[in-house]
Amino acid sequence: MLEFALGSQLDLIGSLGFNQPSTSFPWLSCSILFPIVGALIVPFFPDQGEGKQVRWFALGIALVTFLITVGAYLTGYDPAQEGLQLSERVNWLPDLGLVWAVGADGLSMPLILLTSFITALAVLAAWPVSFKPKLFFFLILAMDGGQIAVFAVQDMLLFFLAWELELLPVYLLLAIWGGKKRQYAATKFIIYTAGSSLFILLAALAMGFVGGGAPNFEFSNLAEKGFGTGFQLACYAGLLIAFGVKLPIVPLHTWLPDAHGEATAPVHMLLAGILLKMGGYALLRFNAQLLPEAHAQFAPLLIVLGVVNIIYAALTSFAQRNLKRKIAYSSISHMGFVLIGIGSFSSLGTSGAMLQMVSHGLIGASLFFLVGATYDRTRTLQLDEMGGVGQKMRIMFALWTVCALASLALPGMSGFVSELMVFAGFVTDEAYTLPFRIVMASLAAIGVILTPIYLLSMLREIFFGKENTKLVSNSNLVDAEPREIYIIGCLLVPIIGIGLYPRLMTDTYSASIDALVGRDIAALERLNKKSSSSEISQLKFLPAVISAPIL
Amino acid sequence: MHSAAELAWLIPLFPLLGAVVVGLGLISFNRRINQVRKPVAISLVSCIGISAIFSYAVLWEQLRGVPPVEHLFVWASAGNFTIPMGYVVDPLGAVMLALVTTIALLVMIYSHGYMAHDKGYVRFFTYLALFSSSMLGLIVSPNLLEIYVFWELVGMCSYLLVGFWYDRDGAAHAAQKAFVVNRVGDFGLLLGILGLFWATGSFDFNGIALGLSEAVDIGAVPGWAALTLCLLVFMGPMAKSAQFPLHVWLPDAMEGPTPISALIHAATMVAAGVFLVARLEPLYSHFPVVGLVIAVVGTITCFLGASIALTQMDLKKGLAYSTVSQLGYMMLAMGCGAPVAGMFHLVTHAFFKAMMFLGSGSVIHAMEAVVGHEPILAQDMRLMGGLRKKMPITAITFFVGCIAISGVPPLAGFWSKDEILGQAFNTYPILWLVGLLTAGLTAFYMFRLYFLTFEGSFRGNDENLQKQLLADAGKEIEDEEHHSAGTLHESPWSMTSPLIVLAVPSVLIGLLGVPWNSKFSFLLNPVEAIEAAEKFHFGEFLTLAGASVAISFTGIIIAVMAYGLNRIDLKKLFAERFPSINSFLSNKWYLDDINEKIFVKGSRRLAREVLEVDAKVVDGVVNLTGLLTLGSGEGLKYFETGRAQFYALVVFAGVIALVALFGVLGPT
Repeated sequence: MLEFALGSQLDLIGSLGFNQPSTSFPWLSCSILFPIVGALIVPFFPDQGEGKQVRWFALGIALVTFLITVGAYLTGYDPAQEGLQLSERVNWLPDLGLVWAVGADGLSMPLILLTSFITALAVLAAWPVSFKPKLFFFLILAMDGGQIAVFAVQDMLLFFLAWELELLPVYLLLAIWGGKKRQYAATKFIIYTAGSSLFILLAALAMGFVGGGAPNFEFSNLAEKGFGTGFQLACYAGLLIAFGVKLPIVPLHTWLPDAHGEATAPVHMLLAGILLKMGGYALLRFNAQLLPEAHAQFAPLLIVLGVVNIIYAALTSFAQRNLKRKIAYSSISHMGFVLIGIGSFSSLGTSGAMLQMVSHGLIGASLFFLVGATYDRTRTLQLDEMGGVGQKMRIMFALWTVCALASLALPGMSGFVSELMVFAGFVTDEAYTLPFRIVMASLAAIGVILTPIYLLSMLREIFFGKENTKLVSNSNLVDAEPREIYIIGCLLVPIIGIGLYPRLMTDTYSASIDALVGRDIAALERLNKKSSSSEISQLKFLPAVISAPIL
Repeated sequence: MHSAAELAWLIPLFPLLGAVVVGLGLISFNRRINQVRKPVAISLVSCIGISAIFSYAVLWEQLRGVPPVEHLFVWASAGNFTIPMGYVVDPLGAVMLALVTTIALLVMIYSHGYMAHDKGYVRFFTYLALFSSSMLGLIVSPNLLEIYVFWELVGMCSYLLVGFWYDRDGAAHAAQKAFVVNRVGDFGLLLGILGLFWATGSFDFNGIALGLSEAVDIGAVPGWAALTLCLLVFMGPMAKSAQFPLHVWLPDAMEGPTPISALIHAATMVAAGVFLVARLEPLYSHFPVVGLVIAVVGTITCFLGASIALTQMDLKKGLAYSTVSQLGYMMLAMGCGAPVAGMFHLVTHAFFKAMMFLGSGSVIHAMEAVVGHEPILAQDMRLMGGLRKKMPITAITFFVGCIAISGVPPLAGFWSKDEILGQAFNTYPILWLVGLLTAGLTAFYMFRLYFLTFEGSFRGNDENLQKQLLADAGKEIEDEEHHSAGTLHESPWSMTSPLIVLAVPSVLIGLLGVPWNSKFSFLLNPVEAIEAAEKFHFGEFLTLAGASVAISFTGIIIAVMAYGLNRIDLKKLFAERFPSINSFLSNKWYLDDINEKIFVKGSRRLAREVLEVDAKVVDGVVNLTGLLTLGSGEGLKYFETGRAQFYALVVFAGVIALVALFGVLGPT
């Protein structure tokens, strides 16, 4: 009685189509430019200095941007196609080979929607901001456009520009509105990200110029070039470092706890909800899609790194006494599943990685928002100084509990589905030897035990037990206000919706993921024919130092 | 016209709808909802009531021999993989549906009285409805994955309900412990499910069983791997059904309100593990070694629970260890390849144990009027005694439960336990012997509980004893909160009537499973039932039943002598002669201490050390790089003075030393 609503589409190898020159309405350019134009108006918007007027304006812009992306999804996007859609192409600087090329396929569309959605909620979360509100909302809106651009552009140079441009607002948002150590955190963030993105530029230039002819950096063009394996490996390694900083991959993660630890709640939501996803998206877009041969060789490393991320960050999160840093480490832990999914050579696993990005975007944003809301009341983030807060803030307690349960992958919420898909995709994947799969799956599953340990301990220390008299007398513990309930409610709708019926989300991108995985498997098979070994044995290719991580 | 089984998906849905509506109401209009607590409770109870009616209709159909119904839809898919979900109704599920809805309904009615003065009255009912919904969903799950989904959800409800009184530290710790220990089991269950999916490409019970035996036959999956997968899956039931060594969470979970202990931690959720093993019977029947492991684990649990229950002074904890022990019996049956016997004991046990837990709740409710809302005092049997005269209904129903669980014919426990022991005798005689011995212990500790609580004279007003108990528990004595104004009284009708209703099946339901004409096994497994009825020997039955009745009576007589008539002093006779055994038992085999020392403290230390490494080594390298560039730039700039350079050098050397130190000590 099984109804197969979705057929299998595995014969889509090498068909990164680019056949629709333009649609009737430039949806994507609009969604990129509209918030940026809106941001440019912000300084001239009449406001009395406390941000009471300008915040409405910013909210309006963010909401319209969200509606534009939804409009793009509804009118111009067909989930059944795996190729590029909604594409627009304008020659920008032909001498440099720079083209304004935007478009969306299954890899970008969910993340574009996620970006505009989270940004709109972040603007709402920024309601109490009263210090330089104009600059704050200007930066948030500029970031909105920049991030949509990162996911929508189809040209590698343009991608690099968008990637770099989006750093600036984050730097300023950290450095001006952050906590006590904000200068240190912001500097660390910018040095880390800007330094590593040098590799993107190098790789882009190399890929664009290699093979002679006029330089062209469009993805579709790069995909057809068919780079040599050695070249691919070099590019792959560079890009892995660049995106590994962003995702982040242990040991390139240390900017994140500092940046997250100092950011204010709305910035926090954007950092966790969207910025980390840029790393995962770029890994899929470049490493897995454009460099399939190198991906076939590097994939075991991704799996190992993913497992390290899960366990290492879960342990550090458990030991953290600072609430923000605790959640920040839990983000790193969850990103490990993205890595495993990307390295899994199975549609199920890669689909799971994509879903994990969306899901963590929602859950991470909700947890970080709650951290901010709690800090507004307790004025402390040290767990030792909290305790028994649940008696005064019951609704807050309920919201925290739901979000923490979502984060520990409780079934019925999106995190469970994505982790399950990654697990199931990885263990059924014949590309790896059985012992490798057994060891890695068992280690990753330890995360299943560690996650509730740190999340539930956290809940216990904040809310359970006797009231901390010192805290209660020194702070004003009012319960959640309607605006806060509304924000969490908005985030919970998709979290639970996806958890109950995951095809709501997976169907929007499965065609693209199938095509991508098909290409990678084909590359793997070509490689295996060459090296005549039937299973992946590339672990020995990797330096022993990298593959022997701290466990 | 639809058959009831076609509508079985509605059974979990009604309570879910109720819980969601009330839950949203609680978050949005907290005060208003709490004002109309009674209508809200009535509507939630009627949600369960409707589910109960549907469940009985389903059971009725299954009794008439309607074939099982299964419906599936594609829940998630990627590439050529699909993950189906849906629901299934078969005799096993129908029995469980009826059982769970019945007990949930009675517990909800009881809670109206028990929780009447609690601030969280509405929240409590919401959680109860949510739990019922998840539990019913678990029962109708057609495949392992969906079972896992609901498995986690009932675990979550258990977490919420154990931590219901979240201002108590004990409750907070117990809730977390319950969830984490269950996650340890789920770790195995998840890996097992994934492995079985890898080996067979299926989540379906029959699909897995067939696929795995085929794969082993043709050599696609090595035998050891298949065995490992079966055992990994068994880890889930081990945690959920509190089997040794993962039973440690269950006694602590008694921190939750007593109706929860009756519903979740005695009758339904803890039985989910047994239910899952019964569902997996087609898989396990291919692997006799797995059966042996299950039987041995069950027997150890059974003996462990009973032996610890001997020395417990906390009424609820005594009952909790008794539950652990009885769950061990059920697992023993499963391991002996007799799932029908195990399920039968599950059903009978659910009725009488739920009744006894509710009875203990009634006692605690009465005690609280005398000693105050302090669980250490209100649940301690040293402060009870003589309650029968004040609360006769509670005492009588509790007494019925005691003889039922002790295995006195013709009450429920006799038939089901005897069935299990008979099966064990034929399969693993050594395990039978342990089981028989445990039956004696069971009778003893149950009557010990009864006599300490309900007979003798009331000791609750002894203030010195109260102070000493509080001091032993490490609590401060708060004189101002001490109220001893109240007197003992029987509980209101809403609490006593569920007790009376539950007493009926506790006495009678065993008669459905008499070994020569077992209606129960005829429903679950007709072929086996006819076979068993044909092979039935009165002589053999009488010998085995005689042995277990004899040992039960021995246990009862010792308890009567020691606690009823005070003829023998067990303290002098046993405890003082064998102090090591006594402290071994009263310290719960030291398992909690081992758990605390090795796992809790160990994981904390490991986490702290990893964090140390993260902050000092990984981040240290980063800061070192930063310092290096800073140092060189600044050094050049102030080359003349040399001071900045000196500082940089000092800091640099310090960081190097730190890194080297951690390198030498290693991240251990």
